[in-house]
Amino acid sequence: MEKTKKIGSPLVQMKKLWSQNALSSTIFALVVMVLIQCVVQGVNAGSFSGMFGKMGMAWLNILRNNVYQGVIALGMCFIIISGGIDLSVGSMLCALGAILMYLIGPQGPLAAMGLVGMPAYFIAIVAVIICGWLFGQLNGVLIAYGKLPPFIGTLGTMKIFRSVTQQLTKTFNPEVPADFKLLTSAKIGGQVLLPILYWVVIVIIMHIIFRKTAFGRQTIAIGSNEKAAKLSGINVKKVKLGIYALGGVMCAIAAVIYIGRIGSMDFANAGSGYEMDAIAAVIVGGTAMSGGRGSLVGTFLGMLIIGVMNNILNSVGVPTFLCEAVKGLIIIFAVLVQRKDNN
Amino acid sequence: MNLSMEKIRKSFGANDVLQEVDFHLDSGEICALIGENGAGKSTLMNILGGVLPADSGKILLDGKEVKFSSPVDSLDAGIGFIHQELNLINDLTVYENMFITHLPKKGIFLDAKLMQQKTQELFDRMDIRLDPCAMVRDLDASYKQIVEICRALMQDASIIIMDEPTTSLTEPEIQRVFAIMRTLKKKNVSLIFISHKLNEVMEICDRYTVLRDGNMVASGSVSETNPRELATYMVGHELKSEVLQRDVPMGEEMLRLEHLSDGRYFHDVSLSVHAGEVLGVTGLLGDGRSELFQTVFGAMGRKHSGKVVLSGKEIHLANTHQALDAGIAYLPRNRKENAILKDMNILDNGSIVFLPHLIKGLFLDEKRQSQLFDEQAKALSIKMGSPKDGITSLSGGNQQKVVLAKWIMSGPKVLILDNPTQGVDVGAKEEIYSIIHSLAQAGVAVIVLSSEAQEIIRVCDRSLIMFHGNVVGQVQGEEMNEQNIMYLATGGEQGKKECV
Repeated sequence: MEKTKKIGSPLVQMKKLWSQNALSSTIFALVVMVLIQCVVQGVNAGSFSGMFGKMGMAWLNILRNNVYQGVIALGMCFIIISGGIDLSVGSMLCALGAILMYLIGPQGPLAAMGLVGMPAYFIAIVAVIICGWLFGQLNGVLIAYGKLPPFIGTLGTMKIFRSVTQQLTKTFNPEVPADFKLLTSAKIGGQVLLPILYWVVIVIIMHIIFRKTAFGRQTIAIGSNEKAAKLSGINVKKVKLGIYALGGVMCAIAAVIYIGRIGSMDFANAGSGYEMDAIAAVIVGGTAMSGGRGSLVGTFLGMLIIGVMNNILNSVGVPTFLCEAVKGLIIIFAVLVQRKDNN
Repeated sequence: MNLSMEKIRKSFGANDVLQEVDFHLDSGEICALIGENGAGKSTLMNILGGVLPADSGKILLDGKEVKFSSPVDSLDAGIGFIHQELNLINDLTVYENMFITHLPKKGIFLDAKLMQQKTQELFDRMDIRLDPCAMVRDLDASYKQIVEICRALMQDASIIIMDEPTTSLTEPEIQRVFAIMRTLKKKNVSLIFISHKLNEVMEICDRYTVLRDGNMVASGSVSETNPRELATYMVGHELKSEVLQRDVPMGEEMLRLEHLSDGRYFHDVSLSVHAGEVLGVTGLLGDGRSELFQTVFGAMGRKHSGKVVLSGKEIHLANTHQALDAGIAYLPRNRKENAILKDMNILDNGSIVFLPHLIKGLFLDEKRQSQLFDEQAKALSIKMGSPKDGITSLSGGNQQKVVLAKWIMSGPKVLILDNPTQGVDVGAKEEIYSIIHSLAQAGVAVIVLSSEAQEIIRVCDRSLIMFHGNVVGQVQGEEMNEQNIMYLATGGEQGKKECV
């Protein structure tokens, strides 16, 4: 009797911890997906040892290919927790990418001042991050001070950022210096790993901002009950400005990684649809669309779930057009599960 | 039509709401139905309007017994019920609203011409100048009320129940509605006028009936009574509440308002409150006290004129954040909507106000947060499992204490409590009263806004009474009793203003 009790109690405790963890269903979903992926890749490789090689490559690609949306999704997560939404992130990425390429190009203003190489790149990156901050502030001003519904306000700026960028870059022939690309594309052990490293570091920083600062708590308070937050002496407008500005900074970082990795940008299409990918990751990661509840780590996992899903679908030969349908199903399913959790 | 309600009895569970109430109405008369909140007025009228069934008793129309099982039955019998929240559809025209229950058709299409014509005829008969094709959205509150009345007439109502029709109206609008009521009276339509405002009752009604705690306590001709007598009937003679005695350690003046107006909810309000004092502000629905003090707290922006002076210095607050820094705290009414952060735990709910002061370096000092909250939780004896539990796991009284804790933690100079015991059980109520007194003892200037006269009497040192956005009186000591408060709150001395 006593023995079973001793074995039982830590198990019970673990179970309790597990059920209290807000991320448990997200982690569970990811584990299930990875197991399916193992089977699929194992069958593809034909052998057990072959499976590991295939899985390794698959994961490198999942992580590398989703960095841009993944970083943007972290900002989106803050915004959605505060009860808002930002549709302009894709266009913002494109606009910020254009600014970056203009600054670091051989005909750019920095080169004209005689600044080249790493010091120039450093200044350019800081400048782009400041621009991202300002673009985000613009969204924040429209929403907090102009009292526009976030959906409408950012739908407007989404169109504005994209079209102004396209007009201004009509005659712009961007060239990205080769050594700038090293910042993200330098190979470590024969593989491009830096973007993944950046992503993980940003996830950790954003998680700490969310969990350990007054700003993070105030974000939850606003998303939970904006009126109560205001009547608790929280400067709601200022906090909202900060939230949208942070979203803009995430877009700037994504733009730097994007240019460093790809080395060019198609201003008509770059980043389009990223807003939906980011929202999907946030939702699949267990953040409530109604605000007040959510997790940055969950958003990271949500992005991975979508990535693994894509990988599985591609590996079993599902036609590309249908892949999107499956993504849609996952999002719907995630929200249904959330609703069940809430009850 | 003659109406008699005899020995109407109604209870909800163990709660007897109506105990054998008689009510009588002659044709062509306006009868006031008055009483405090919870006296049973609405229940009685809901029975007459077919919304609720009576447990026992009879309803007689012209001497014939009738039974209503739904509002439609009641309407068919000629009784129109105009609820306090108007039932008009803003996006339709006046004539469409008039016929909304039975829209006349010509083939498959609506017969707009007929509707407009009938509406116009009715308006002519009633001497109302209003375009039947106007959108209801564009009408002011009094015309909306009039459209409701006309809709009841269109359905051949000969008795119309009006539930507090004047609460959201301005003085000229009230006169417009009264004019229509007088016309109706001439046309032999009977009206039941539910109101809290005794001066209006005196002006427009022929007879009155007073309900208290489910009993008809008085009835008679309005010409033979006065507002003070009516207020006494409403409150009753036996006063249950006793004043909580304490010594008032009056300190210096903390907050002074000078001629504060916002042109909408409150007008020319001046008052002053000292450190260590508990000031009550009371009144009936629509008295503007919440809006007044939300303005003082900076929650309504800067749309007011007049001065707010805090400890001798004039302040201009643009938002609640500045109010917090200045030392003004405001505990809002309607806890669930205005104070509870449902997704956050007890600890965060209880310290959200103070978070900016709990920063160590870049991060939140969670240890100090817990420590400070634990102190408050102990002082206010908040009953909870763990501070990390969700706020919604607590009872109403404990939730209210958590909300109180967050403001006490901020160390305010002036603490404004708007309906602090709303939805709180009797035991917790007493605890909150003693917390209020100990805060005052510690030198905080406390302002209690409440619609319950008993609460004001019990906890406050003196009280201001507001009516329609004006401070109409002040009571203190012996004078602070329910009759006086009710008399002033119903506009008894509206002309005569005495401020502090």
